Amino acid sequence: MASKKQIAVIGLGTFGYNIAKVLSQKKCEVLAIDINEERIREISGLITHAVQANATEEKTLRALGIEKMDVVIVGIGTGMEASILVTLLLKEMGVKKIVAKALNSLHGKILRKVGADRIIFPERDMALKLAEGLISPNILDQIELSSDYRIVEIHAPQSFIGKTIRDIDIRAKYGVTVIAIKKKQPIVTKSGETDFKEVVNISPQPEDEINEGDSLVVLGKIETITQLKKD
Amino acid sequence: MKEKKEKKEKLDEDVDSIEQELIELGKFYFLNQKYDQAIKEFQKAIEINSKNPQGFYNLGIVYEAKNMIEKASRMYRRTLELKPDHVFAKEHLNKLVGI
Repeated sequence: MASKKQIAVIGLGTFGYNIAKVLSQKKCEVLAIDINEERIREISGLITHAVQANATEEKTLRALGIEKMDVVIVGIGTGMEASILVTLLLKEMGVKKIVAKALNSLHGKILRKVGADRIIFPERDMALKLAEGLISPNILDQIELSSDYRIVEIHAPQSFIGKTIRDIDIRAKYGVTVIAIKKKQPIVTKSGETDFKEVVNISPQPEDEINEGDSLVVLGKIETITQLKKD
Repeated sequence: MKEKKEKKEKLDEDVDSIEQELIELGKFYFLNQKYDQAIKEFQKAIEINSKNPQGFYNLGIVYEAKNMIEKASRMYRRTLELKPDHVFAKEHLNKLVGI
């Protein structure tokens, strides 16, 4: 059996707290470090180890065995200096992979120079996602495959309702491939309330019908997907 | 006087039962994915009694099933105004607003 992935999270703001929590739920061994006692107390029941310590001190990091971790995430949100210093220390200690959160592009450039293997801009990325969502409210989610191609989840256009994939001839007409159809199946819960559960039809067949309320996960060029949304 | 009171009670009972029947009929249509018909029945139930959270919650579910997200959110909010501890309405609204 493969051993659990060991991941350290330094800085437990909203970003660090949530990433530590989710990684722990996904069965990773998580070590969380923060200088704030209250934050350590909040997360201590949810992850493997939570330690109140100053991560800008090399001896502290060594004592915690941080260099043995598979990945170290630097999520320090207050002050660029601390996050840069910690990233530099981690690099010098030979940490295999360092992921660091940047507050702005200058911060990102410095983090790259001092040795971060991956830099993330949560605020910028979220802003871009929100902007896309506001411009195209029909788009529920998307993954960029290349500068031209995307996988996008959209609400099924009204003109598709009640038709099969064959009837619509999606690939020939729009040049996109339907990877999955997400359906909402009405149910009654044990307590007697109405509700629905989501059922995903992966790789649908030509005879599969698209119904009201369905979402389609499609792969294609950006322009063709844009055309599809308009219909 | 007593007769009048009894008549009123009987009338109230009838109204309650019609309202419940409309909700059950709406649920039946919803379960059979006849969403527009379900909406009509739940709206009728709300017209009879605008204080019943059940009608609003069920309308919210149908609107959400039809991907009419704004209308669904409004219905869940209305449900929670009438019944703040409605767990299902709270869960659905949280999901729609992104919590």
